[in-house]
Amino acid sequence: MAIDLSMPVLVVDDYNTMIRIIRNLLKQIGFEDIDDAADGSAALGKMREKRYGLVISDWNMEPMTGYELLKEVRADPSLSKTPFIMVTAESKTENVIAAKKAGVNNYIVKPFNAQTLQSKIQAVFAD
Amino acid sequence: MARVKTQQLESLIECLHQKRQEDVSLADVLSLAEITAQSLQVFFETMDTAVYREMHEIAGYIERMRGEIGALQVDEIKKDRIPAAGQELGAIVKSTESATNTIMECAEALMCADASDPKAFQALVQEKMVLIFEACSFQDITGQRIAKVIETLQNIETRVSRFARAVGTTPPTDKAAYASDQEKARAERAQRLLLNGPQLDGQAIDQKTVDDLFK
Repeated sequence: MAIDLSMPVLVVDDYNTMIRIIRNLLKQIGFEDIDDAADGSAALGKMREKRYGLVISDWNMEPMTGYELLKEVRADPSLSKTPFIMVTAESKTENVIAAKKAGVNNYIVKPFNAQTLQSKIQAVFAD
Repeated sequence: MARVKTQQLESLIECLHQKRQEDVSLADVLSLAEITAQSLQVFFETMDTAVYREMHEIAGYIERMRGEIGALQVDEIKKDRIPAAGQELGAIVKSTESATNTIMECAEALMCADASDPKAFQALVQEKMVLIFEACSFQDITGQRIAKVIETLQNIETRVSRFARAVGTTPPTDKAAYASDQEKARAERAQRLLLNGPQLDGQAIDQKTVDDLFK
């Protein structure tokens, strides 16, 4: 299934450099409409104002983590279908299992490369 | 002799009264205990040599503890070593951020560059490559800064271990009982939200294992 590259993507990370890296990789893939937020609550605010086709979020942020954001998104009927990829340094099995149980579509462990990001985005939209 | 010690004791109590609003150090408390023990020593000498010996040992132990507290140099750790280590770590964050920004700016400039003029494009690539090499020199300095922080941690560890051995402490069974409210709140949040942080090699699972969990 071809990915709709015109869909808006929201990148959530409290580290500006990581936002910049993911933004550039997404541009390389062909996405053009890319927004960002510094934590889960800022992301949730943006998601309630604009309909995003994909959310790529870090886990460890304050005040609201990516894990809390994921659970909020899945609990909100208007947002619950939004594809959600976790990109995080949280690399324990319990984190992956918890995220999967909460409804994450895919999980990328930092540090990652462009090919991994692209293949996970493709996998999400192939499902 | 007893009168002299009593006067010392009174002056120490007076000193502690004046410091009531401030933190009373462990050294102050030990000084008080030492003078108290020495004062009572004269009294017990006349009563029982066994008690005298006991008091003498207690006074000796207190004296040794004072020496150990001195060797710990808490003030130096608190005022000099930890702030200096914090400054080194701050400088590391700043220099890595600056280098990352430089490298990213170069990469972004090349991403957007017009390659239709090969000569101009080649010159731009060379210019940006030099900038990237220069930016990478941060690694040498941050390595030296990290070595200084490690040295500080090792120094503190040595002093604390020596003190723990001298005092003969055993590790607490309930570590949480020693944590501040702020530390307890952070630990509770980390546990509830699974904030484990980056793992060392061998403790983390790799992308392939993650992918297997999604099959």
